[in-house]
Amino acid sequence: MIFDKFRRVLGGGGFALGLALAEVAALVDPTVVVAQEAAKETEEPGGDPPAKPLDEVGVKALIKQIDDRQKNSGDYKTLVYIERKEKTKNDVVMEAVVYRRDADDKLMILFTQPKSERGKGYLRIDRNLWMYDPGTGKWERRTERERIGGTDSRRADFDESRLAEEFDAKYEGIEALGKIQAHKLTLTVKKGVDVAYPRIALWCNTSSGNVLKRQEFAASGKLMRTNLTPKWAKRYSESKKADVWTPKTIYIYDEVEKGNSTVIVLKDMDLRPLQANLFTKAWLESQSR
Amino acid sequence: MNTIVQIAFRNLLQHRRRSLLLGGAVAMVTLLLVMLSALLNGMQATMLRNGTTLSTGHVNVAGFYKITAGTAAPLVTKYEALLQAVKKQTPGLDYVVTRGRGFGKIVSEESSLNSVLTGLDIVHEAGFKEVVQLAHGNLDELARPRTALIFEKQAERLHVKVGDNVTVSSQTFRGVNNTVDVRIVAIGRDLGMLSSFNCFVHHDAIRDLYELDSSTTGAIQVYLKDAEKAAEVAAKLRTDIEKTGLRVMEPQPQPFWRKFDTVKREDWTGQKIDVTTWIDEMAFMRYTLNTLSALIFVLVTVLLVIIVIGVMNTLWMAIRERTREIGALRAIGMQRGRVLWMFVTEVALLALAATATGSLLATGLCLGLNAAKIVVPKAFQMFLMSETLWLVADVPTVARSLAIIAVVTTLGSLLPAWRASRLQPVKAMQTAS
Repeated sequence: MIFDKFRRVLGGGGFALGLALAEVAALVDPTVVVAQEAAKETEEPGGDPPAKPLDEVGVKALIKQIDDRQKNSGDYKTLVYIERKEKTKNDVVMEAVVYRRDADDKLMILFTQPKSERGKGYLRIDRNLWMYDPGTGKWERRTERERIGGTDSRRADFDESRLAEEFDAKYEGIEALGKIQAHKLTLTVKKGVDVAYPRIALWCNTSSGNVLKRQEFAASGKLMRTNLTPKWAKRYSESKKADVWTPKTIYIYDEVEKGNSTVIVLKDMDLRPLQANLFTKAWLESQSR
Repeated sequence: MNTIVQIAFRNLLQHRRRSLLLGGAVAMVTLLLVMLSALLNGMQATMLRNGTTLSTGHVNVAGFYKITAGTAAPLVTKYEALLQAVKKQTPGLDYVVTRGRGFGKIVSEESSLNSVLTGLDIVHEAGFKEVVQLAHGNLDELARPRTALIFEKQAERLHVKVGDNVTVSSQTFRGVNNTVDVRIVAIGRDLGMLSSFNCFVHHDAIRDLYELDSSTTGAIQVYLKDAEKAAEVAAKLRTDIEKTGLRVMEPQPQPFWRKFDTVKREDWTGQKIDVTTWIDEMAFMRYTLNTLSALIFVLVTVLLVIIVIGVMNTLWMAIRERTREIGALRAIGMQRGRVLWMFVTEVALLALAATATGSLLATGLCLGLNAAKIVVPKAFQMFLMSETLWLVADVPTVARSLAIIAVVTTLGSLLPAWRASRLQPVKAMQTAS
């Protein structure tokens, strides 16, 4: 049924798209509990040795590991499906391609489906995020903390992790997420750094180190978003000479407007070098001509 | 002259049915013009009254603060000194208030909506209580911190009532997500377009939301004893503020929220002051009024053309019927000019009587409709800027409508009257026989 919805929303014609969406459909529409159950199944089930609490050095090492695992010194490309659910609106499903060149801090998100969104895109040049709308042919400067495509997702959800650079971490202890043991950390933004959420709570798998749950708080201390990342994928990077980790699915729950949520499914990670002139306004504009 | 008036008057009485029909049509057009003008006046008066209380002062001393060249925040930092200077240097000052400016999402348990956020100190807001009619709650409660006033339609959409808490969510000017929880203490009656996107909170709630200190505000709103002098006062304040060393923006007749893109593109940082009048800030609403004015103009012009054609046609018929009479008058010595004036006077008398009747009827109707406090459909409330129909048929409006229609109708009689005056007495009498 959900597959039908995807096909209807995206007008999916091709077999490949249909297959991809079928896989997406299998992951969509979870509750927190379901996501935690998924985590139970995928995160090395059974027989984890009892975890030990981390000291200050261990916390720093864990945060660095989270960043390092997701970072790729070369180029990065992945297909994403974004589903937005809002209480008072119809569900919206979008398909986009995310391009990254971590060495230069470059990022581009190009929407490919549905038809109404095709050709729209975000491009980060230096510290400015630009949005292009082929309907008007205009570029608009947006804040780096902009909601992507009107969903609950942010630029940071698609970008490389910079936790160690932007936050100070404090260890809170070991907590159980379902049957999984997780280190709970509280991150507070460093002075002079501008981020969308100045305080973050992180739950990291004690055995793999992957982030399972992330809660983001407003400056007032109010909980704004809960992100669940139960499944992670890794791929060997020639440029990095190591594995690059990305979440397979990100479930984002709006904690202010209860009932609103966004699901991001990442597929077909590709770490081969991208075209040199890709991260330019001209290239993004050319995709809608 | 007296004789001509008497003849014209008797002619009108003699052709009673024709006079009544033509007079009735002229009276109806007058009534329509007065009513439409009264509607336009009502909208203008409501806009001035509501707009200058809810979203702008007669003169606004506001501006933008840019942390980096690519950002723009509608802030006035260290406003106290500026406020004192404005109080001292404004001629014809009535009172001054400070307002916080923002934009955010109001979230209730059930729903959410985006709204302009205005922070105010209700104790200093002299005009606010007169304009905002409450449906529920107590406006004085707005003096307490973390409180809010919303309007009926917003309350309906959010499914909230007085006493409920809502969360206001926005990003600070540095892009950090922030929230404040506010308690709804009053729900105001809808005031059309202005109330549909405006929500009022205690000034400190805005400061908390945007993480501003108490020396920062959004705008200093200046109220004058005579709103007509706004442009003059704004020009003076602009010069005076510039002399104090503060940077002042070039005047732009636009509301502040339309200036964000321009300001973001400009290559400067820090504070710049922008002085605007209520006409600048309400420019987007004047579009509605101008459109309505244009529509009224077109409609009345079409009706006037029809009336003029009717008058000419009626006079042609009258001249045809009264050719023998014209011939006789000319034969006994009446000059051509007096014949012309006789017909023109006839139409002028009819037009005066008809427009006076139409104006009186329209004025009575306006008063009656105002007294009845007719609630207009929701869609019209948006444009009327009021929940009820409000018509202002003042003396200048009525006199103007009366004069326009009487003069145009009378002018329409000139050609037939001139043709009548050119008739040869002998031919006219022969034609008749």
